[in-house]
Amino acid sequence: MSEPFMNTPPKPEKLGAMTEGYLKDAFAGESQASQKYLAFSAKAAADGLPNVARLFEAVAYAESTHARNHLSVLGGIGSTADNLQAAFGGETFEITEMYPAYDAVAALQGATEARTSIRYAKAAEQDHQALYEATRETVETGKDMAAGAIRVCPICGHTVIGGAPEECPVCGTSGQYFREF
Amino acid sequence: MADDVFEKKLPAPAELNPMTDESLRAAFAGESQAAEKYLVFAEQAEEDGFPNIARLFRAISFAETRHARNHLRTMGGINRTADNLQTAYEGESFEVDEMYPAYREIARTQKNREALRSMSYAMKAEVDHKRMYSDARERALKGDDIADQPVSVCLICGHTVIGDVPDKCPVCAAGAKYYRAFD
Repeated sequence: MSEPFMNTPPKPEKLGAMTEGYLKDAFAGESQASQKYLAFSAKAAADGLPNVARLFEAVAYAESTHARNHLSVLGGIGSTADNLQAAFGGETFEITEMYPAYDAVAALQGATEARTSIRYAKAAEQDHQALYEATRETVETGKDMAAGAIRVCPICGHTVIGGAPEECPVCGTSGQYFREF
Repeated sequence: MADDVFEKKLPAPAELNPMTDESLRAAFAGESQAAEKYLVFAEQAEEDGFPNIARLFRAISFAETRHARNHLRTMGGINRTADNLQTAYEGESFEVDEMYPAYREIARTQKNREALRSMSYAMKAEVDHKRMYSDARERALKGDDIADQPVSVCLICGHTVIGDVPDKCPVCAAGAKYYRAFD
């Protein structure tokens, strides 16, 4: 089979089970590489290497395009209503299954820093679950959600619609550091 | 930004028992995939005519990025830049030398053309990334930054180029206007 190169992102297709499994692994790998490089970019900027920071940021974006391509072939991109449902399902799993289990292990092993990282994430996923649920209901009536800023705590990921609180209720970071979307 | 404020609030790198380490690794994988998925969902929401939902997906993607960073930091995965470049180089090498060649053979055997295309796009870009990280690491070890030049990325296939953008992407043939510049 020759290798097709076309200037459109790859499309969904019926996949053999082995190909599907490995493509899922590749999506996981690209996603983690992208996130690692974003963290490394921030570190390079802190180390006084702005051009290396830019390289990491650009390559993180390249990995995002690969993650998107793999997800597309896997049929993981639906209508926005479907995507909201998928997102809601993912957040629900993290809140009810994943993080409680991980926190129990970290508590057993006295891993206080790991517990902090888990607590920050779980608290934010609760915000996300509620936001996705409310939004899905709006979309089912064919409407967009209301316009307005969304703000995210740069430390713990706490997510609010509208103005930032004076202090993050999860980690105590001052609201002035919240990133606005 | 107020680095000292951040330093105190962020979870710190810690000695972890294997089971906790494994949990955090899995959580890092989960957060990373959620962050990427939500970016794609944001694009789809724009296309579907829901700009406010697109904003929601982008904001929550950023929140997941914070969680991924926190988990990675706690596992001791963020080090000085020369070491981070080495880690990045090794990751790209694994993908180029092991992962994608094996995955591509499977996709070929199963005649999954789109999967093969998606993997080939990625593998070709990782070859460039590997070289760029290797060069940057040599410089960082001497205490030097790399040259101050834009880095551009093909938004179809991820082809990455330092300096001038080609007229046509050498991997997927997309035109120059499909490159996103980081300058």
